[in-house]
Amino acid sequence: MVCNQCQEIISDYIDGSLELGEQVRVERHLADCEPCRAVRDDLLQIIHFSQKLPLQSPSGAVWARIQSSIEAERPAGLRFRFKVWIARLRDRHFDMSIPQLAAGALALAILVSVSLLALRRGDPPSADMADGQAGLSTNLLSSTDLQQMEQRINELKETVDQNKVAWTPELRVTFDRSLLYVDQSLIECRRELGNNPADPISQELMLNAYREKMRVLEEFARF
Amino acid sequence: MATNAISIKSDAGLSAALAGDSMSGFEELYRKHYRRVYSICLRMTGNVAEAEDLTQEVFIQLSRKIDSFRGEAAFTTWLHRLTVNQVLMHFRKRSVKSELTTDDGEMPDSIDPDTINPEAMPIIDRIALENAIAQLPPGYRTVFVLHDVEGYEHEEIAKILSCSSGTSKSQLHKARLKLRRLLKQRAEAA
Repeated sequence: MVCNQCQEIISDYIDGSLELGEQVRVERHLADCEPCRAVRDDLLQIIHFSQKLPLQSPSGAVWARIQSSIEAERPAGLRFRFKVWIARLRDRHFDMSIPQLAAGALALAILVSVSLLALRRGDPPSADMADGQAGLSTNLLSSTDLQQMEQRINELKETVDQNKVAWTPELRVTFDRSLLYVDQSLIECRRELGNNPADPISQELMLNAYREKMRVLEEFARF
Repeated sequence: MATNAISIKSDAGLSAALAGDSMSGFEELYRKHYRRVYSICLRMTGNVAEAEDLTQEVFIQLSRKIDSFRGEAAFTTWLHRLTVNQVLMHFRKRSVKSELTTDDGEMPDSIDPDTINPEAMPIIDRIALENAIAQLPPGYRTVFVLHDVEGYEHEEIAKILSCSSGTSKSQLHKARLKLRRLLKQRAEAA
């Protein structure tokens, strides 16, 4: 056997798939041929290390994209979309996600605006709602709940303000934009509740906006 | 492929994912399998962005097809096959020319006894090997990853790639020799 013949079947030899006679011929050749032994040893190393290659991890954004795509195929609510948005924040891939992050908060603002607009068109305010004060003493939105949320928001704001100095410009832009959209929603809700304090839909929208604001701040407080 | 076989009962997240449309159950399934799926995609494509897109596509397909999983095969085996098929479809879509069906003119690296460095190959480091695998032509890489990394048999590869097991063996041999040359070049350049 010559070297070319040996090297042509050396993978089969390594994998143990040669006929016995051929295997013996290869072994005899290897015993006398250092270059072919070197090929065999190199291939054995390659195979050995290939079997032990560690698993790799994709970026965290992949799960957010998967989640978003799967949910897009299902009936999706605002709450889920916000969870996706938060998941992206958690993954810290702001180079990819800034427009999407802003879009999430914008979606909230739009939803609140559209809902309130529809509300205004549908139900004229009643006389007992015209005092200009947001009526927050209903079942949905008690003043105690509101105070607790505002207190929590203030605490989180302090943490965020402390952390903010170390943020990248992209992160700051994302945060400011996101908070702006949520605050716009809150302003809309307050205005609507000023006209119609007992309206349960406005109250629910306001409650959701408060919760979302807390979540935004909680997420950014981690950075 | 006998490796990585697990039963449906032992697969955390699978029951939950099958039971309903709970995203938390599916997330558990993702957490359990995403690294293996991504690793297959990455090693078959040699490209991070493509591998991430394919991982995404595999799990989206999984969410659509999970109802059709009946437990005849181990779930991991089923998911592996789904992943490999997804990568191969991707190759076909982007018209990657596969050396499996065309003569690319790439001859196996043969060793000239007069020029061979008699010293054994320096110890391979993982990064060098990963890089070398990524540099393989797609057809070589596919067979190499399936056989030497993922543990598929030639008969299984032949079925997956619609070729003969002889072709699979031949591609594997060429891939190993090509890897050897790439690793040697890198070692000599260092």
